[in-house]
Amino acid sequence: MVKKTDNAGKIKMRSSFINSAVALIISLILGMVIIGISGYSPIESYMAIFGVSLGTVKGFALSLSQATPLIFTGLAFAFAYKVKMINTGAEGQLYAGAMAAALVGAYITNLPSGIHAFAGFAAAFIAGGLVALFVALCKVYLNANEIIVSLMLNQIIIFFTSYLANGPLKPPGSGVGQTKMIEDTAKLTKLIPQTQLTTAIFVAILTACLLAYLLEKTVFGYEIKVTGHNLKASNVAGINVSKTYLVTFALSGAIAGLGGAAMVLGVNYRFVEGFSSGYGFGGISIAALAAYNPIGVIFSAFLIGILRSGTITLNRTTSIPVELVDIIQVLVLIFVAAPDLIKAITKQVKKVKPKSSREEHMEVKTHDI
Amino acid sequence: MENISKIYPGTVALKGVDFTLNKQEIVSLLGENGAGKTTLMKILYGMTAPSSGRIFYNGEPVKFKRPIDAIEKGICMVHQHFMLVPAFTVIENIIAGSEPGSNIFLDKKKARQEVIDLISKFNFNVDPDIKVEKLSVGEQQRVEILKVLYRKADVIILDEPTAVLTPHEVDDLFAVLRRLKDDGKSIIIITHKLKETKEIADRVVVLRDGNLINDNVDPKKVSTKELSEMMVGREVNLQARRPAKHIGDVCVKVENLTIEEDGKEKVKNVSFDIHHGEILGIAGIEGNGQTQIIEALTGIRKPKSMRLTLDGKEITGKSSDFLKAGIGHVPEDRLSMGLVKEMSVMDNMILGYHRESEFCNKKGLLLKKQISQYAEKLKTDFLVKASSIYSAVSSLSGGNQQKIIISRVFSREPKAIIVAHPTRGVDIGASEYIHKQLIELRDRGAAVLLISADLDEVRALSDRILVLYEGEIVSESMPGELSEIEMGLLMTGGNYMVEEGRHHG
Amino acid sequence: MTFNTEVIYSIISSTLRSSVPLILAALGGCFSVRAGVSDLGLEGMMLAGSFFSVLGSYITGNAWLGLLFGVLFGAIFSMLHAIMHVTYKVNASISGMCVNLLATAVTPLLLNEIYGMSGKSPIVEAFKKPNWQWINSIPVIGKILGAQNILFFLAILLVIVSWIFMYKTKIGLRMRMVSENPHAASTVGLNVTAYKYFGVAMSGCLAGFAGAYLSIGQMNLFVEEMTAGRGYIAVVINAFGKYNPLGVLGGSIFFGFFDALQTIFQNIFPSQLVMMTPYVFTLLVIALGLGGSRGPAGVGKHIDN
Repeated sequence: MVKKTDNAGKIKMRSSFINSAVALIISLILGMVIIGISGYSPIESYMAIFGVSLGTVKGFALSLSQATPLIFTGLAFAFAYKVKMINTGAEGQLYAGAMAAALVGAYITNLPSGIHAFAGFAAAFIAGGLVALFVALCKVYLNANEIIVSLMLNQIIIFFTSYLANGPLKPPGSGVGQTKMIEDTAKLTKLIPQTQLTTAIFVAILTACLLAYLLEKTVFGYEIKVTGHNLKASNVAGINVSKTYLVTFALSGAIAGLGGAAMVLGVNYRFVEGFSSGYGFGGISIAALAAYNPIGVIFSAFLIGILRSGTITLNRTTSIPVELVDIIQVLVLIFVAAPDLIKAITKQVKKVKPKSSREEHMEVKTHDI
Repeated sequence: MENISKIYPGTVALKGVDFTLNKQEIVSLLGENGAGKTTLMKILYGMTAPSSGRIFYNGEPVKFKRPIDAIEKGICMVHQHFMLVPAFTVIENIIAGSEPGSNIFLDKKKARQEVIDLISKFNFNVDPDIKVEKLSVGEQQRVEILKVLYRKADVIILDEPTAVLTPHEVDDLFAVLRRLKDDGKSIIIITHKLKETKEIADRVVVLRDGNLINDNVDPKKVSTKELSEMMVGREVNLQARRPAKHIGDVCVKVENLTIEEDGKEKVKNVSFDIHHGEILGIAGIEGNGQTQIIEALTGIRKPKSMRLTLDGKEITGKSSDFLKAGIGHVPEDRLSMGLVKEMSVMDNMILGYHRESEFCNKKGLLLKKQISQYAEKLKTDFLVKASSIYSAVSSLSGGNQQKIIISRVFSREPKAIIVAHPTRGVDIGASEYIHKQLIELRDRGAAVLLISADLDEVRALSDRILVLYEGEIVSESMPGELSEIEMGLLMTGGNYMVEEGRHHG
Repeated sequence: MTFNTEVIYSIISSTLRSSVPLILAALGGCFSVRAGVSDLGLEGMMLAGSFFSVLGSYITGNAWLGLLFGVLFGAIFSMLHAIMHVTYKVNASISGMCVNLLATAVTPLLLNEIYGMSGKSPIVEAFKKPNWQWINSIPVIGKILGAQNILFFLAILLVIVSWIFMYKTKIGLRMRMVSENPHAASTVGLNVTAYKYFGVAMSGCLAGFAGAYLSIGQMNLFVEEMTAGRGYIAVVINAFGKYNPLGVLGGSIFFGFFDALQTIFQNIFPSQLVMMTPYVFTLLVIALGLGGSRGPAGVGKHIDN
């Protein structure tokens, strides 16, 4: 039997988990400060948030439905990061996927229910994938910085889809920029009536599982990991690095596109201008919190979903700012990315208790960011 | 330096070492990799603090917190890996950090004059206005030395100064050092090169495993064998040769290999063959085309022209094609090219061969059970010291990391194998083991191409030696035919009469 | 569209006006990269500058003090980047994105908390268009320069001062050495960390200035996400201009031209498509490989102890 402490993979998972947990806790504590400044009691507010989002049926459904697009964008960022590429283009890929799904949903008729929804997802997958493929091609063949290219594309796609939704594709009589409503056969089944929770969440979880399987059990996953860790060694070992970059990044964008489809086919039933409330960039925090582990993304998206759900609901009756969760997300990203920062803070705060962070000093340092 | 100890977490680097340097003397600090010589000097020039012990300079106790403290006192270090800015000129490199000029502006005129004065005083022969990236290695080293002279150093520490120099450049360097000594400077040379120690040092200090072994060795009276035994602690057989038992037919045939880089020909129409059961060694200073040749022969780089055949069959394509064809590769730099240190020993043992049918099925799934069994076998057979096959490679020593690569490549029983600097940074025990494995692989009929900057290694292992200079094969000889000096001359392009008729066309 | 000199003057004026925030932000990027730190956080620093300069003007009623606020908070936000990347060795792209995300998340919150408004702030004291008779009388360029406010001239001055600083002073040489080879710099006794922090702080100040120009230089209020990706364009301009103040000046004016085209085309084409042009142009620049010049050799490298 192999001793647990020797296992490279297990050591890394344990220290990543502790890192993420501590980062989340610190961020929640700082969130309390923000609530306090707004003039509310932090403890009561958090209790109210969790009470609503976990304690009520509608709140719970909202938690899961808020988590759904985040799972997609979180997976997108995490997967791309496995080859050390940074996909900041999830927002644009989301919009591209949404538009594609909206068009398939609205303009293709005579398809049975399940197939139509599937076609919507497929179209979104292809749209998001093509966008990301373009970025990856720029990186591989033009040596461009994928971050900037993605960010530029975000703006371009958002403006362009907005143009379509306000111009040629706008249904007569619409007040806002949007497209024609999709056919009933394309709509996703709601799991709980009068909520936004649909079967899309199953698609999200399934995607996460498939990605995890791909990474751990397949040769392609092996090549992804080698390329991400050591590019030169990857070349020497005969791995087709260009192909690995292109396929991985394209997949990343395709998955983000699926998130757009989830919103269109399940929530809005059409493409609506500005439908994303920060889902694209939110994926970065989700991925970091999950230590870039596909299964972990499901849980970290759920956690953030809970926070969002509670804050959104409470915002109707109190003036607890909705942006609170956005800030907590950024704080989480900052702290997860800087493990040494966490250690410095925990040293100050927890002077008496035995420190779990001490173990990490002895273990293999595997953090890349 | 008195009773210096240095403890790092997990190891004791120095144990109560005493070290003295007298004025106007050249001392050679000798020891193997890991003996503690660099650590001792790091303490002296302020890069790191001793865990215990004191330092006296000119009779006064001193404490250095940062290198700048030592520099201010006059103790400066010339590093093994040059601390230069390639994009800056010689002048800029020399003055940066201690620029002349009374106000915030650079006084370029004064700087130029001061540098030119220094250059002529010590007869250094370097163009001050040229960008450092255009200088030769020897010239760059001179710029490094000028840097310390500009800061009015009295004590100069040189870390492995001859590691990257040709024998001719080494002579130049030693002439410079003697001039500096006459000028009143005191010099410490950190090295593990025995012959050079005997040539330049006034006194030799030997460290081993953090201990001071002897600090008053007279280089004129001691033999290299005695020195190496002091360094290693036991008898060392430096030049043991095990000649090939049976050299067979031509296995690898390289014809018309030409490689262009940045518009220049780095490898100029080179041709050679390697026979089954033979180790062909290529000697040469790094940077003469070795890396490019290795890349072409392993498919990593597509050369301008090359015809490569393995047992008569032509090999072309990418690195994966070359690996499949049976060409093994032990890369120059194990951590950056041959291993993924974050991944486990097991994962690294199939690297490069991970798509073989024994590890991966047609659908692309990894056969985990077979892989772990394979890794266990390799670990045992090749004596890889690791907690388990699941341990991260980063937790292994250099020698064991190299063994992972050796085990991975050798156990595929390649027909041909290209081995680059196999024992660089590897302790003597692992080095002996690796050499043994190489010889055994050769005796099983493989064709081995050995490329190494360690001339001793090449001469000890090869059955035939080629010398590579500026992308051309300038000599072919049997081991022992040419003396080390003669080889050194060839490695630097020196004219050598016996060459005629020895060129491999 | 009648093609006469008035139109040309108007285009050139617009170009210069649009280029000011780009010049300032990209100049900030110069400092950052020439100290060895990637400049991806410019967008967030700029947004912070936009918001806090309005706040400063709101509190004090003075546009110059507002500008000071903007510069100050640009620098404060830049410290997040410096602390994460220089001290805690986080990947510079990630720490830069953290600055951007933080600014994006914090500004709406503060809009709500401070002004009780959402989407945009109240109107505040801003920089007025100057009315300098003596400039207007200079032939040809007089009209163009006269249409710029004082911040334009300040920006040009900063470019020149920055160039002199980087290439003619001792500290400038040392900072550039840090960006080329931090190891070498530390062996000659330079405090590498201090130089990197300095470079990042300067980038924060200048990007903050750029943001302030957008909010109280060109307009008189803050609108959510008003930087609209200009910070990222500045990153490209910096590379395009070879990380040199003079190159950045030229590059910014070039890009500013495409920004200015918007005002001309917006009556002809749908607004969203027109707004796309600067980004499409930036993408083209990158795709043609012009935005990838080699920077200093030591960017992103840390010294290990």
